[in-house]
Amino acid sequence: MELGVQYLFVALVLVGGGMAALSRHVLYNIVGLGISLFGMAGLFLQLGSPFVAAMQLLIYLGGITVAIVFAMMLSIAMTLDPPTRTPVKTGFAAVAALTFGVGLHGLIGTASFAAAPPAPTDAWAVAHIGSALLERYNLVFETLSVVLLLAIIGAILIARPDRRGDAA
Amino acid sequence: MEPLSLILLTTVAPLVAFTLAILFLMRQPRLAQVVVIGGGTLSLAGAALLLFQGPMAPLRYLWFTSGDMALRFGFLFDGISLMFGVAVALITLCVMVYSLGYMGHDPSKTRYFAMLALFEWAMLSFVYAVDLLQSFIFWELVGLASFFLIGFWYERPSATAAAKKAFLMTRVGDVGLFIGVLLVLQVAGHFDIPGLLAADTGLVAQAQPAVLTMITLLIFVGIVGKSAQFPLHTWLPDAMEGPTPVSALLHSATMVAAGVYLMARLHPLFMGSETTLGVILVIASITALLAATMAMVATDIKKVLAYSSISQLGFMLLGLAAGSLFAGVFHLLTHALFKALLFLCSGLFIHHFESNDLAQIGRSGGRRMPFATAGLLVGGAALAGIPPLGGFFSKEEIFAALGHGGVTIYSIVALLAAFLTAYYTFRMIFLVTRPTHMEETAHDHAHGHGRAEPWSMALPVLLLTVGAAIAGFWGGAIARGLGIDAAHHSLASMAPAVLVVIAGVLLAWMDFGRQAAARTGFIARIPAVEKLFSNGWYVDAFYDAVVVRATMLIATILHAVENKLFDGSFDRLGFSVLGIGAGATRLQNGWVQFYAGWTVILIGVAAAYFGMGG
Amino acid sequence: MNLESFLLLSLVLFSLGLFAVLAHRNLIAVLIGVELMMNAASLNLMAFNRFSVTDPVTGQVFVLIIIGLAAAEVAIFLSIILNLYRTRRTIDAEQLTELKG
Repeated sequence: MELGVQYLFVALVLVGGGMAALSRHVLYNIVGLGISLFGMAGLFLQLGSPFVAAMQLLIYLGGITVAIVFAMMLSIAMTLDPPTRTPVKTGFAAVAALTFGVGLHGLIGTASFAAAPPAPTDAWAVAHIGSALLERYNLVFETLSVVLLLAIIGAILIARPDRRGDAA
Repeated sequence: MEPLSLILLTTVAPLVAFTLAILFLMRQPRLAQVVVIGGGTLSLAGAALLLFQGPMAPLRYLWFTSGDMALRFGFLFDGISLMFGVAVALITLCVMVYSLGYMGHDPSKTRYFAMLALFEWAMLSFVYAVDLLQSFIFWELVGLASFFLIGFWYERPSATAAAKKAFLMTRVGDVGLFIGVLLVLQVAGHFDIPGLLAADTGLVAQAQPAVLTMITLLIFVGIVGKSAQFPLHTWLPDAMEGPTPVSALLHSATMVAAGVYLMARLHPLFMGSETTLGVILVIASITALLAATMAMVATDIKKVLAYSSISQLGFMLLGLAAGSLFAGVFHLLTHALFKALLFLCSGLFIHHFESNDLAQIGRSGGRRMPFATAGLLVGGAALAGIPPLGGFFSKEEIFAALGHGGVTIYSIVALLAAFLTAYYTFRMIFLVTRPTHMEETAHDHAHGHGRAEPWSMALPVLLLTVGAAIAGFWGGAIARGLGIDAAHHSLASMAPAVLVVIAGVLLAWMDFGRQAAARTGFIARIPAVEKLFSNGWYVDAFYDAVVVRATMLIATILHAVENKLFDGSFDRLGFSVLGIGAGATRLQNGWVQFYAGWTVILIGVAAAYFGMGG
Repeated sequence: MNLESFLLLSLVLFSLGLFAVLAHRNLIAVLIGVELMMNAASLNLMAFNRFSVTDPVTGQVFVLIIIGLAAAEVAIFLSIILNLYRTRRTIDAEQLTELKG
């Protein structure tokens, strides 16, 4: 049963990823991305972290995917009329991705990863993440908040229409 | 009132004024002026009340901890910060009021006043900072605010270039400072300034001598950039592109003073390393002398003042490095007053005659402006070191500190620089106030209409004139504020300083003051030397020739390598693909995806190679 | 499932994302590829966190920060796309060839 659920999520990730990467229509890409992200959240749950899984659903599936849909609707031209692909370029991209994947697979094969004893279950409690974020990783946390603020301001500045008409 | 509310009044009032002005008052410049000047007044009141209460225990508030490192924000109330805080607030307020008249017709007044408020906030927070990292943050903010103000007239290419130059050159120093600050963390584990300075548990006791030397040298690199010392001094004369009140602010109490202030703040650390002190003495004396020679031949009134600032900053560092905290801080404070005064006076002339040229101002009747002339005389005399004005006593302290262990090369250099200071200062005064009769009549009453000196501009000048005149007598009070006994110097020990000043003034009189004088200066008789001086010893030219060109050369070589080697090989690869007949496009087709693809393939091949155990 | 199978899954997902980035003409589809690659990295970290780290907090924090950065990155990317679309009426990667040599 447990294993079945796991394989279901893996299948979701792979099918969604395939749709997101291979389809020519951008709407299918987005749906694929959503499916893949959902499967990923399930895998996070299986890997023992309900909190990260919930964040994945909230931020990625609920926020980022919706933002992408908005962007698609605001720049509608290519959505209505999917562009054609040249076989040369597709082939080139496939070769590049395959070379990379095979190379990296070889590299993974050479590494050996020491297995650690499973941590006690209470080590996975959300409270630990919270205190780690505010104590040990405080600087990272603060930096990330600054980055997000800058990203918001930057996004507004870039996307805003020039009201004055000059290149400000 | 308790210190917390006072310090918040001092530091936060300008920030609030800045925020209000920049966010809400862009279209109401009059209201923005009121808000900013109100903020400056509150800030001055807060700083003055703090000074009145005297030194207190510092306040510290935890910002956050990360790992073992705790970052604190807080405020330090000792003699240096209290006195300098008042000086900053006072001079900023003078400049703000003065700007009412000077910038009265500028279309973007709000932006100007908002930036002044930002500048004041950054500088005051820097002055009172208790934490070295906090100091660094506000140190950078000071640099940013001065960048905005130097480049205020951004439609002029020269102004934007000067702003960029100022920002980049001080950044060069800041890299050193930042590494120094990080080293402090590495050695001491905290940034708390009183903790670092403590005699028994502080950095001097903790660090290896070599490490301490390294830290102080790195911090000094930051000071060299900020306080425009040789060889990073060339940004300061260019920074004259900003509005004149900004120059007054930049040169007296903020920006360049930040460097000297930091050294005074960390004085015990510097005293712990003989090597660093030696380096500082050499750099500062070179700067003092070099800048003075450049001021001798400058024809632009603001350039003369700019070079004199560089030179006087060298004097301050000389005093600090000679071991006398009092000498450095005293000169910093008196210099802040009379240099702000001189710049504001030059602004009066420039505003009225629309010319920066010394001789031109003199010919057009500069001496008919009573406030400006009085300010120029008092400020100039203080700069030259005429007793009993401010500059005399503070310079005297520096000479005394330098001559402490017998006459050294440094005290001779300092005397020579003081001689040149008196000479160029009175050259400036004579050129403005004593044009020959023949010259003057030609331009009589060309600018007769309108008041020469509106009250908003005359009042700060008057205030600073009084301040510069009496600043010399505050020495005892300042020494008490620092917790040092001011030594009284005998008349005999003052003699050399007085003599060089008199000599300098006399020489200036011979060259520029008398009715029959040639008005060219003795330097002009040696054209080669004059050329050297007026080109700033070719330091900028050196940068152009060596640094910029070396960079360009490296870039050219790399370009050639890329063209011949990488591009060439890829081109050949591309041609061979074409030759095979697959119809592939050229590699340089501009598609980012194509470039990325090749990168990925190469990484994949490399990964596979290592994966095979190759 | 063990660590190796998770790594393999994330590798496949990463390669798919890479293909999307390289092959799609629509910049939005390119962005989707980038997101796939980021998720693959997150999966990797979570897998290592589960199987070969004693303190499981580190990896979770890492993944949370990746999610936060992804949000920032998407905001910027999308605003660039909107700007491009407004100024040039296209978001076709093959028509944006200013880098042409």
